[in-house]
Amino acid sequence: MIMAEPAARQDLESPAPVDEEVLVQRSRRGDLEAYDELVRRYQERIYATLYHMTSNHEDANDLAQESFIKAFQALKSFKGGSSFYTWLYRIAVNKTINFLKQRKNRIHVSLNDLDLNAEHDPDLVALISDKTPRREAGLTELQEKLNAALLKLSEPHRLVVVLHDVQGLSHDEIAKIMDCNIGTVRSRLFYARQQLQGYLSDYLNPR
Amino acid sequence: MKQSEDNFETLRRLLALKRHESPPPGYFNSFAGQVIARIRAGDETAQEEEVGSLFGESSWLLKFLQVFETKPAFAGAFACSLCLLLLFGIVYAERPDATPRTALLAAVTESDTAFAAGTSPALPPSPEPAGLMVSTNPVLSLEPVASLFGQQNPLAQPVNLSLPSN
Repeated sequence: MIMAEPAARQDLESPAPVDEEVLVQRSRRGDLEAYDELVRRYQERIYATLYHMTSNHEDANDLAQESFIKAFQALKSFKGGSSFYTWLYRIAVNKTINFLKQRKNRIHVSLNDLDLNAEHDPDLVALISDKTPRREAGLTELQEKLNAALLKLSEPHRLVVVLHDVQGLSHDEIAKIMDCNIGTVRSRLFYARQQLQGYLSDYLNPR
Repeated sequence: MKQSEDNFETLRRLLALKRHESPPPGYFNSFAGQVIARIRAGDETAQEEEVGSLFGESSWLLKFLQVFETKPAFAGAFACSLCLLLLFGIVYAERPDATPRTALLAAVTESDTAFAAGTSPALPPSPEPAGLMVSTNPVLSLEPVASLFGQQNPLAQPVNLSLPSN
């Protein structure tokens, strides 16, 4: 399964905002069936973000579950100023950043396997065969190096890269989630990319 | 900005690899169910905590009950002592001379009856009830009040109320 394909990128307000509003209202009244539907709707995107932030499946699983639980418990305080998804995203991201700060020096990587589509992704194939100086590098090695480089970034910088370059969210959407202005998002993204280029120079710069 | 985007194009292609990292097959089939189960479990825990907080106000009672759980012999001894106390209470309550207050009330009632009838009953020489009466009702006295009415008044003469017959 491909998580958060840019082509299949979904707007923060979608899908079916009216239905979502109804589901949120029912969930606020304690309707767990409605909340189950909301969880199913957003579980993949929330999990993917948390996984890319932690590079650890177990941590991402725990954080994603706890985020959904916390959101359910806090639904009464949700005033509808933003979409439910943005609000949920904010809870998940804050929870994850707090978690990462606590385990600062105890990083344990537990990467998910690459799906079969990775080997046929033309961008990746081209990257390995043509532009990557270390042509012998396999996808798995590339994956490990990429995750290691991401973990070197600070949490806000990593989050911006994950949300924009991996999950395909717009600057505006990221600004809402991170509760900052778009300029901050842009500057963080630029700095984070620069850092990553430095860390991954062996795999990016042609000989 | 455009140039910087181009500079990062290769990096963005590399970052696309992250999108191919996927969790174990079927992972999302059970995810929502687990979340809902944890929410339900949390509700139950919250209810238990509420009950616990009620007991928390009388923690000595909880400790007392916990001693019963850990030491059954203590529970048995406590039950025996309660039974003995109950038995003693029943036996003590059934003894007629064991309740001075009952006797006192009986004496007072008898005294009132005698006062109303103008007789002088011979009260038993019991200093305890008399003293008690003085302390609780100083107006009422257990002095032999019958002596005021028991003596014949020398100034009083008998009156004949019979009418002469025609």
